[in-house]
Parts: sequence; structure tokens; C-alpha cells
Amino acid sequence: MNEKWSIFKKLLLLFGMLTIPFYSVFGQVSFYVGPQQKHDTIFIVKHDTLWLERPGALDSVYVADVSPSKYDRPVRRYRKRWAVLIPTHSKLQFAGNMGLVSLGMGWDYGKRNQWETDFLVGYLPKYDSDRAKVTFTLKQNYIPWSLRISESDFDFEPLTCGMYLNTIFGDEFWVNEPDRYPDGYYGFSSKVRIHIFLGQRFTYNVNPKYRITAKQVTLFYEISTCDLYLVSAFTNRYLKPRDYLSLSFGVKFQFF
Amino acid sequence: MEISYMRKKHNFVPKLQDRQFMIRCYLIVLCIISGLLTGCDMIDYHPYDVRIKGERNINAHNIEAIETMCQDKDTLRFVAMSDSQRWYDETEDFVEALNRRNDIDFVIHGGDLSDFGVTDEFLWQRDIMNGLKVPYVALIGNHDCLGTGREAFRAIFGETDFSFIANRIKFVCLNTNALEYDYSDPIPDFDFMGNEISARKDEYDRTVVCMHARPYSDVFNNNVAKVFQTYVKSFPGLLFCTVAHEHHVAEMDLFNDGVMYYMTGCMKYRNYTLYTITADGYEREVVYF
Repeated sequence: MNEKWSIFKKLLLLFGMLTIPFYSVFGQVSFYVGPQQKHDTIFIVKHDTLWLERPGALDSVYVADVSPSKYDRPVRRYRKRWAVLIPTHSKLQFAGNMGLVSLGMGWDYGKRNQWETDFLVGYLPKYDSDRAKVTFTLKQNYIPWSLRISESDFDFEPLTCGMYLNTIFGDEFWVNEPDRYPDGYYGFSSKVRIHIFLGQRFTYNVNPKYRITAKQVTLFYEISTCDLYLVSAFTNRYLKPRDYLSLSFGVKFQFF
Repeated sequence: MEISYMRKKHNFVPKLQDRQFMIRCYLIVLCIISGLLTGCDMIDYHPYDVRIKGERNINAHNIEAIETMCQDKDTLRFVAMSDSQRWYDETEDFVEALNRRNDIDFVIHGGDLSDFGVTDEFLWQRDIMNGLKVPYVALIGNHDCLGTGREAFRAIFGETDFSFIANRIKFVCLNTNALEYDYSDPIPDFDFMGNEISARKDEYDRTVVCMHARPYSDVFNNNVAKVFQTYVKSFPGLLFCTVAHEHHVAEMDLFNDGVMYYMTGCMKYRNYTLYTITADGYEREVVYF
């Protein structure tokens, strides 16, 4: 019985040794699926800022030579396209006929990042009215120049200009006159205001070593006016610039 | 991934000389500080914010002045003017013209101080009208009801229905802009009118009714025009009614019952109506300035 068992073991071992090449083939096949899934969809970005101590440090950066698969490419493209919608900055603005304070996010774009579009939600306290109100602002900025102040981390933007649309929430405001009025009785919208503005900004480029959430912090001020103030100012000497112009301040945090 | 060491945001990077840079920085800071100092008035939160700076409750203060000043007079002379919306220069000229006279007791503004109901419009009008030597009261117009306008009007001038007595004549000032309200606010307020007939009954013998929009105008609740007239006629010694809203001067016997409705023109056409009330009756004169 023992002898028989030892012969069986030897035969089994022989069979095993003979089939090793096949194992490796199976192994390749079975493991081939694994790594492909792995390199495909997982992005691990440890640092958004690659802060280089010395120039040329990039030479030692290892780039994997795995070519993307038919699944990788569309997924990356899909991600890249949706990534455009990630806001690049946030803004906090004080006054400016859009509420006491407005908080929002936006995007910069253009060859030199000279365009900015923001969405802001503003809060207007009650004061002597019946209730506090919320406003919403869509703002378009144009910043033609950004001047680096030599040997410093500061940029000076001598001109910002643009316009914004502000809407205020509440039943007492309307875009189109309610039906009870004769057609075109008042001929304006109390809900939506069009503003234009001019301003200036100072930008601090935060040293990569000390960045917390933003790579740039910008302080700005703006002088603005809106449609209703303009139509009043055009026909009246009584109204002085300080009556129809409005001053506002803000801060912008550039995420990336 | 971004390599900030290698990259600069903008192409255009001029080098400023150190001294030049210092001067410019200094100038900018100076501009900002001076801007801040002069700009305190320029910080606006919203056109409809109802943030009232300066005098409030104008009507209450001025009624007090009118009632004490006009107690024992032979003749009462008051001016009705109205619709000064977005005609600030003209309203300033009106104030100047009126301040040149010495025979006026008080002024009644017939409503429409603002065009859009914007808070600043009321404040600008208040500041101009506060330049008058004589006290004034303001009625609410249909434009004053827009947006948060009625809230601003209430804060700056006071209640929209009010009355006062000058030289034993009661002036009943009414909000008649029904088109701007729904049924939760009774416009015109018959309860108010009914109470006013009996209130302070021994202090007045004659009545003048003032309103912005007349019966049968586009913003009046015309379903109750005749009821309104019944209430108007039940005031003791009714003299006449002053109305505004339609921007032109007119006089009408709306209900063919002898009750006269006198309309004041708007500030654009630079005129006001002067009423002289004596013991025997009254005179009306349209004055252009």
C-alpha cells in the first residue's frame, strides 16, 4: 500500500512538472486582466504642485510606459472634459449692490487667464424692510493686464472691468410686469439689475511651500453702477458721482 | 499637475524700477485711502435694501409743526405738488422757488417721489424736500409701491393713510393705489375714512381730502368709486379733493355732485397748485416756476 502510494506520488510530481509551462500560461492569462484594470482608472495625484528644489529635478521623474487601453482613453477624455467645470477660484465680495456680502465661485480662462466668470450668492439683511433677502449674481470680468512687481510675489492688475447681472428673490420683485397692469405700464424689471464696473486688484502669489488652500490670494475693489442709477444720473445734475456710483471690496482665492 | 516653478501666469512682466515702484505703490495706497474716506457714502448693498440713513418719520414730525404753526390764522395757504419722480433738478428748482415766498404755510406732496421704488430715490427726494423752509407731508404714489418702495416709504415718511388739522381744517391723506395691492390691504381703507370722520371731531369744521390717484383712474379700485365718494362726502364741511398721478393740471367734478377734484401737474412741467382757504371759501391758483 505504501509502495503504491509512493509511486502515485511520483507520478503526480511528474505530471505536475510536465504541466508547469501550462500553469505559467494560465497564470499570465489570469493575471493579465488584473493589472490592466488597475492602471486604467485609478488616478492617484499626491501633490498638485510639484515644487522643485533645483532645476532639472524633473529628469528623475518616472513616467510609466504603459499605453492606455481602449477603455482608458475615453474615460480620461470624459474626466478631462468634466474637469473643466471645476471652479478654479472662490470669491467673497462686500457691497456692490448685490447684497451686504456675496460668496461664490468661478472660472478663469483665456490665453492669459484674462477672463473670469463668477456665480455669487448674496445676503441682504432686513434693515427697515419686512424680511432679509437673498440675491444671485452672474458676473463677467475682464482683466487685460497683470504686471509682476519685480522681485516680489505680487502682481498688480491695473484694470479690471466687466458687468454683472443681479437678481433678487422675493414676490415683490418681478421680471415682467404682473398681468394686473396694462401692457408696459412701468416698463422695467424690479428683479434684474444690470451693473457695470471698473476696478483694480493686487494679487499675492503664495509661495508653494506655504500654500494652504490657494495658490493666489487677490484683493480687489470695484466702482460700479446699475441701470436704474444711470438713467437717473443722465437727466439730473442733482445726482453726483457718489450718489450713483457704488464702491465694493472683495477677495479672491485661486485654487489652481 | 502643475509645475509652478517653471510657469508664470502672464506673458507680460515689465520690470519697474524700485523707486518708481515705491512711488506708484504710495500713490495707489493714497488713492485707496482717499477713496475710502470719500466712499463711505458710496457703499451700497442693494437698490432695494431699505437701509435708511438720516431722518425718518417725516410726516409725523412735520404734522406736529404744521398743527402748532397754523392754529389761529385767518387764511391758510398751502401748496400741492406731486410726481417728482426722477425730476430731481426740477424738484430742487421748486424748493428754491417756494423758499423765495413767505406766504406759504405748508406743502403737500401728492405722491410718486420715486420712479422705481428704489430706496435711494426716496432719500434723494427727502433731502431735496427737506430744503423747504415750510413743513411738508408726502402721500404715497403708485410708483412708490414698487419693489420694497412701500417699506421704504413707511420707514421714511410714515403710514400711508394719515390726517392732520390745520386752522380747523382737516386734511385727510389717503392711499388710493389699489392696483399695487391685493385684497389683504384695503385700498382705499374705508375703516380709516370712517374713523377719521369722527376722530377729533370738535377740532375741525371743514375737510380737504388728498390722494394720489383719483376715482376712475387706472390704479384706483373703480368698483368702489361710488362708495368712496359717499365716504368722502360724509366728511363735515368738505371743501375739495386734491389729486395727482396724471401729470397734468385739471379740475373735474367726477361724480357730478359738486365735489371738485383738482389735479396737480408733475415736476417736469414746473408747476404747483396754491390753495388759499379763508373763512368764506377757497381760491386755487396754478403757479409756474
